Amino acid sequence: MDHLSRLENKSIYIIREAYYRFKNIGMLWSIGKDSTTLLWLCRKAFFGHIPFPIIHIDTSYKFPEMYQFRDERAKEWNLNLLIARNEMKLREGMGPDQGSKLDCCNELKTNALKLIIKKYHLKAILLGIRRDEHGIRAKERYFSPRDIQFKWDYENQPAELWDQYQSMIQEEEHFRIHPLLHFTEFDVWSYVKREGLPIVSLYFSKNGKRFRSIGCVPCCSTIDSEAKTVDEIVEEIRISKTSERAGRAQDKENIYTMQKLRALGYM
Amino acid sequence: MSSLSSKTKKALIIGIDGVPHSLLDTYIEGDVMPNLKRILNEGYKLHKMNASIPDVSSVSWTSFATGVNPGEHGIYGFTGLQADYSLSFPNSRDIKVPRFWEILGKTNLQTSTFSEKYLKKVGHPRRSIIFNLPHSYPASPMNGILVSGFVAIDLKKATFPETAYTYLRSINYLIDVDAEKAKEDKRQFLDELSECLEIRKRAISHFFNDEPWDLFVACITETDRLHHFFFDASNDRGSPYYELFLDFYAELDKFINLLYNRFMETYSEKGFFMILSDHGFAPIKEEVYINPFLQKMGFLELQKEGHYYERIGNKTKAFNLDPCRIYVNYRDVYHRGTVRREERLELLREIRGALQSLKGEKGEDVIDKIFQAEEIYKGPCLDRAPDLVCLPEDGYDLKGGIEKKEIFGQSIFTGMHTWNDAFCILPAKVRLLEKPSIEYVTDYLLQYFTQ
Repeated sequence: MDHLSRLENKSIYIIREAYYRFKNIGMLWSIGKDSTTLLWLCRKAFFGHIPFPIIHIDTSYKFPEMYQFRDERAKEWNLNLLIARNEMKLREGMGPDQGSKLDCCNELKTNALKLIIKKYHLKAILLGIRRDEHGIRAKERYFSPRDIQFKWDYENQPAELWDQYQSMIQEEEHFRIHPLLHFTEFDVWSYVKREGLPIVSLYFSKNGKRFRSIGCVPCCSTIDSEAKTVDEIVEEIRISKTSERAGRAQDKENIYTMQKLRALGYM
Repeated sequence: MSSLSSKTKKALIIGIDGVPHSLLDTYIEGDVMPNLKRILNEGYKLHKMNASIPDVSSVSWTSFATGVNPGEHGIYGFTGLQADYSLSFPNSRDIKVPRFWEILGKTNLQTSTFSEKYLKKVGHPRRSIIFNLPHSYPASPMNGILVSGFVAIDLKKATFPETAYTYLRSINYLIDVDAEKAKEDKRQFLDELSECLEIRKRAISHFFNDEPWDLFVACITETDRLHHFFFDASNDRGSPYYELFLDFYAELDKFINLLYNRFMETYSEKGFFMILSDHGFAPIKEEVYINPFLQKMGFLELQKEGHYYERIGNKTKAFNLDPCRIYVNYRDVYHRGTVRREERLELLREIRGALQSLKGEKGEDVIDKIFQAEEIYKGPCLDRAPDLVCLPEDGYDLKGGIEKKEIFGQSIFTGMHTWNDAFCILPAKVRLLEKPSIEYVTDYLLQYFTQ
């Protein structure tokens, strides 16, 4: 089996396990390339019809292209789409200019998610996190319990432990499941290419610029790139691994440093 | 004879981040830490100690590691600003002088007022294991093993040599707990904190038992994290976290005991043993955002555009970096600088006056001490020192953020650093004439190895 098929198989296995064990689950879809890949894998796992809701956390600050892409795919793929918005905070005017950006993320993302988990009594959430995207995420596990008192490395545990742990879940506790953890950025783009997956146009170069990751308009910036197609992006990332990483790593390290300091109340 | 005995000299230092003298004393007396109590009875003494100024880990541990003040070692905080007001993050490469393991290992050719006292007396090079010491990232080559602590990002760069990295990878070593998690879920955060402590204990035990060394330094970071988020529980029996807090200290006590006993079994009275913290902690009444205060008083102007401190505008006279390091916006340093060197003293007088007028809700003082750089710092790095540094009254946590609009506020944090309540435990025969500062106790270690 080739590399991408192996990655795909592993993800599909995790998605199916999660569904059969928890039933009441949802998937977070940010409309970005990773979670769109995850969405695609979920469709494959259940032969085209995903038996759980797809949640879009809508901060109201997303790119118009993203909303359009979301609605088109939701229709085309017959998704049970739930839109999570922290309406109360949005009415109060919460945004990147009001308070800190961290507050904005907290209210419009984290708390919006909390609200929808509570409303639909979701027991587990599928997320498109990759192990290589954040230093902080390097130690994430495939199954990451939130608010439950135990440690668990999924890969080192026999499957029957599922039942035991499932019965321990109490109100308002949920699992986070990361079926894409073993994909790298390069893998994702290679997979997008192989599958012919539709992707938001923001990723493709316009006037020498493209987005490498997308989110809310005020907090996203472009990179210099001439890559106008998926093929060109795959090639760009393949080359950047050897030639551009060093320069970027320092910037990245500063971002992590900043995150760590901020988490302790500095800055 | 002296060369024979010098070869058998061994030292063990345990660093415990952010543990206050007062709390340790309470826990020793209250039998939360019975082992430490016993150790003290075996010939050690607990002293109160001053942290570095400012009292943050990067500065304090660097002062300890170098035996000199920030004016000489060059580290004044976790952050700095460049000429365009973009942030920089000083790391171990910005330390201008040798650290004690480099003096003992003879691996650093730089000199300092401290190293000059000892360099010629060291004799043969000593092998050190420095484990999880803050502000030692990235790890530079040395005689022994170095595993950097906070703010280490990449484990590989945090480790010297490569074999140590291979080992740490094999046990899924964690550099640090993800403090961000405390905002999501405090209980889970506590679990992860314990997990982090466990893995650190495991790694420390491995290096302690299986590697040769003359000097072993083991730092525990988890206490600082515990305190930031749970310090209100430290003496509050009604708190849901009180028992967990005590359990954490009891666990720490056991680990200190384990290392101490193994050390004493092997080296008995010949060894040098020391425990210390880098600053104290106190409960937070309120956070105090100094930049909005400077703004209100007309010293700071912020533009709408820009990230973080890049918003500093061209009418700004001074700004603050964490926790309370006030820098003058000099014309010859910053792009939008406004202040000439000759205007400095007058400006500092004005800012000092303003800071003294800053009062809490009931009119109580917020700022305890205000220092001008040249009063407290000495050495070749004085030119990059903050112009003023303030220490607060306990309860008022001074902050350097730029995003707040109010001057006072509260957050998830319940504990703040304190300057005058760090501790050190030294052999009872060491006579301290006055309360030491952290950079002075390094002397006792080097004296031990060179006498």
